[in-house]
Amino acid sequence: MGRFKVLKSLVIDSLDTITKGSKKYHIWMGFLTLVMLIGMYCYSIQLDEGLSVTGMSDRVSWGLYISNFTFLVGVAAAAVMLVMPTYVLKDIDFKQAVLIGEGLAVAALIMCLAFVVADMGGPSVLWHMIPGIGVFNFPNSMLTWDVIVLNGYLFINISIPFYILFRHYQGKEAQKKVYVPGAVLSVFWAVGIHLVTAFLYQGLQARPFWNNALLGPRFLASAFAAGPALIILVLAVIRSFTAFRIEDKTIKKIAMIVTVAAQINLIMLASELFKEFYAPTHHSESAYYLFFGLHGKNALLPWIWTAIPLNILATVILTFGKFRNNLKVLYFCCFILFAAIWIEKGFGLIVPGFIPGPYGKIVEYLPTKIEIGVTIGIWALGAFVFTILAKTAIGIELGELRYKNKNSSDS
Amino acid sequence: MSDNKKWYSLDLGQNKQKEATASCGCGKTEGSCNSQKTELSADEFYEAAINASIGEERHRDGFEQVFDVKMDRRTAFRKLTASLLIGAGAVSTSCSAVIDNKTKEKAQIDWEEQFKGNYKLMTDEEKQGTINRLMRSYELRTGKNISMTAENAEEDVLFGYAFNISKCQGYMNCVSACVEENNQDRNSQMQYIRIHEMKDGQGFKFDNADDNYYHEVPAEGHFYMGTQCFHCDNPPCVEVCPVQATWKEEDGLVVIDYDWCVGCRYCMAACPYDGRRFNWSKPEVPENEINKNQHYLGNRMRKKGVMEKCTFCVQRSRKGKNPACVEACPTGARIFGNLLDPNSTIRWVLANKKVFRLKEDLGTEPKFWYFMD
Amino acid sequence: MKNKTLIYCLIFLFILGFCSCKEDGEYHSIKDKIENEGKPYHGKLTSDQLLMDSELIEITAGEHTFWIPERKGQIKSFACTECHNRPVAQMKGLEGQKAHWDVKLNHANSEMMDCTTCHNGEDMNNLRSLTNQNIDLNLSYKLCAQCHFSQFEDWKGGAHGKKVAGWAPPRASMTCVNCHNPHSPGFEKRWPVQFNTQKAIERKEGLDH
Ligand code: SF4
Ligand code: SF4
Repeated sequence: MGRFKVLKSLVIDSLDTITKGSKKYHIWMGFLTLVMLIGMYCYSIQLDEGLSVTGMSDRVSWGLYISNFTFLVGVAAAAVMLVMPTYVLKDIDFKQAVLIGEGLAVAALIMCLAFVVADMGGPSVLWHMIPGIGVFNFPNSMLTWDVIVLNGYLFINISIPFYILFRHYQGKEAQKKVYVPGAVLSVFWAVGIHLVTAFLYQGLQARPFWNNALLGPRFLASAFAAGPALIILVLAVIRSFTAFRIEDKTIKKIAMIVTVAAQINLIMLASELFKEFYAPTHHSESAYYLFFGLHGKNALLPWIWTAIPLNILATVILTFGKFRNNLKVLYFCCFILFAAIWIEKGFGLIVPGFIPGPYGKIVEYLPTKIEIGVTIGIWALGAFVFTILAKTAIGIELGELRYKNKNSSDS
Repeated sequence: MSDNKKWYSLDLGQNKQKEATASCGCGKTEGSCNSQKTELSADEFYEAAINASIGEERHRDGFEQVFDVKMDRRTAFRKLTASLLIGAGAVSTSCSAVIDNKTKEKAQIDWEEQFKGNYKLMTDEEKQGTINRLMRSYELRTGKNISMTAENAEEDVLFGYAFNISKCQGYMNCVSACVEENNQDRNSQMQYIRIHEMKDGQGFKFDNADDNYYHEVPAEGHFYMGTQCFHCDNPPCVEVCPVQATWKEEDGLVVIDYDWCVGCRYCMAACPYDGRRFNWSKPEVPENEINKNQHYLGNRMRKKGVMEKCTFCVQRSRKGKNPACVEACPTGARIFGNLLDPNSTIRWVLANKKVFRLKEDLGTEPKFWYFMD
Repeated sequence: MKNKTLIYCLIFLFILGFCSCKEDGEYHSIKDKIENEGKPYHGKLTSDQLLMDSELIEITAGEHTFWIPERKGQIKSFACTECHNRPVAQMKGLEGQKAHWDVKLNHANSEMMDCTTCHNGEDMNNLRSLTNQNIDLNLSYKLCAQCHFSQFEDWKGGAHGKKVAGWAPPRASMTCVNCHNPHSPGFEKRWPVQFNTQKAIERKEGLDH
């Protein structure tokens, strides 16, 4: 009974916190809401007319939505995988990393689910996928695995931070016994969601571009680079806009992870390029299309040739400790690395898988405005969710939010 | 209804009606059809629920193909927000109190169709029930009748197909026969069959082939090769479907339950033969061109956002006929038959001609063979 | 603690993995399945209904027995002897309407073939084999088979030609002259019956392609 009371007051308090804030905060939230509304409007058009308003076609049947989904699974996974090294290294505030990382994971997962729903042809019959009510083609379909792991992951990542915050809210210390196993589980689960997502593509013998054993590991490596890069950027923002104290050391440790992952990612990229271009076979055509264009069709060239140099540039700069320890440079590197990997894993991975088609036919894909609108809307939704989560969490962590201790939150 | 239902169905006091669908056609006499439960509130709730679900996606599309219920964006948006606000309760007040019987029956059919189970798991009565509803719904909407059947796979039948590369002249009669037979969307010019025009002496180089030619055929120095869904015996498209909306029937046909498909297009990515087509927008067929002899798994009207594909004309083949493409081919390049019958012509072809299949190395075991004279 | 969780996780994953192993089908390939499970079909489906309206005759060619459409009833001016009451040689000089003026022989070349290669000038109701035997007009495939023996083989088996109705037994196949005009048996060049403009737009091809 008492618990519920605490819970109720927590909800009220957090509602209170998230609706109050500085002017900048309000502008930020207002902006996100606007973008979300635009996204919703675009989605309503899509619902009305069907997916024909997107750039997708029978040839390229997955596009921007699934690209973003794939990328964000990586972000969600990486955010939590951070937990592991911080735990092992022991010298950083563990809970801090857990909180921000898992908050980010929750936001990313919500975006993932939103992207999947946006991509569906029949969102009104999505209940067919619910085990028990519908028919769940488990374990044959990798998509069902993905549904399970993503939702499980979402559950873990909501419950752990919730536990920690709930304790802190009451002014109690969170018990390591409870949350450490959860955190460890979520680390393995993170690897799981990413591998399963990779298998989604890897298991298709119809698409030689995806059907290679390196896809899974490369997913992990690029996720390990992009996810923490995003975390660094987020921490930087939190640091400058709130009273939450994040030490340079934390950021530098994370930068280390980013660097190593980016390096591994580059090695794998090299290995992939070698395989495709040293002894090209019929199956290398997708790669040819991606990097050089095929039969005069070259819509992806600008994208990939932006991504690759950015990727290399960021990795090289990060490799030198001197640059890496300069925070300004670090932020810049993280940003371009994030952008590069977003292109590489989204456009650079999903779209060329469909090109050329099974009979060598090429239909190019470029997203339409509506598709872009929905996508940006979903990103705004993610940012919105994260902001709310972070604001509450920070409020609690800073002691501004306490049970029966409501001296109001921010000014 | 049954205790051994394989899926969850929402019971809004319409149960009795469901049982009687076939006989009474429902809703003709209000009282007799509905159950004794508090009638009005059930109706109200269920109107409301329909409204809510319409907001999410107008689930009527399936049988309304030929009707134009275009919603402007504003209404769509309004409905969307309504559905986001969640729920039956919120909108119920906006329902009009007076609904005539037909509307009610329509709504009831829509409701049951929206929440029916997967065709693959239905018993024969349930199959009959759903096709009765679909036919009735078509009648209610257009005033015209269609005949829809739900024949199951026959025993000792396994369908197979053979294509004679040396005979095909590229006339494409098969392509248009297929479109007409199977009620494919005319706006996007969806076609299940592709005829690839290949250059002599280059082998089967699909990437250099042209599957959308328009010149006198057969063109000098070219040969023609048709592709469609090959009804693989080990179909990767079936494996990947998260909801088992597509499956292989006992007679080897790989079919889709259009009402169960959620439109994720995973199967499309998994098919190595370009066998599948997606309804990117609402399919439309002029009323006078609709083929009214339909099968639930075959050429019945689709809705937007679902997958479809060649079914070897299940509505024909399960009646002993040849698929439309086989019948339309002027050159006899297409051979169709029962693989299990040693006396069938297709078996003779497999045994006596030098047959091959496409991408055999993928292990998909297509039941579609090519051969030459 | 940590180790235990780890081990449980692994065990769980393993079990999941095993559950998801596909059961292998009984047969290695579709060919095996066909051969092992196949048996002559005597099921419910037949073409009887579909063939009801066609006049058919049963033939046996090699080891195949099947039905073909009857021909004589389809020829407008049969029986030929109603006009050709005398051998062609004798009718040549006669005044009268030319009946077959529209028939142009476009089959092999004139060194090899003329009308009498197939038609029996003495007995116009019948066709004539290379060895001067009569062939019934209903069984004209025999005439064709003299030269086109490989096509004949394929036709007997079912690899060449079309069925009259459905796939289901009994088998009724079109005979040669149902598709080929015997006087001009080749298929003409013509335009495909349709062109998919959407596809061309989608691929950004020129429409003149
Ligand atoms: S050809 Fe494609 S769609 Fe048809 S059964 Fe095989 S994999 Fe499935
Ligand atoms: S598009 Fe439909 S049939 Fe294909 S995998 Fe998805 S739900 Fe199954």
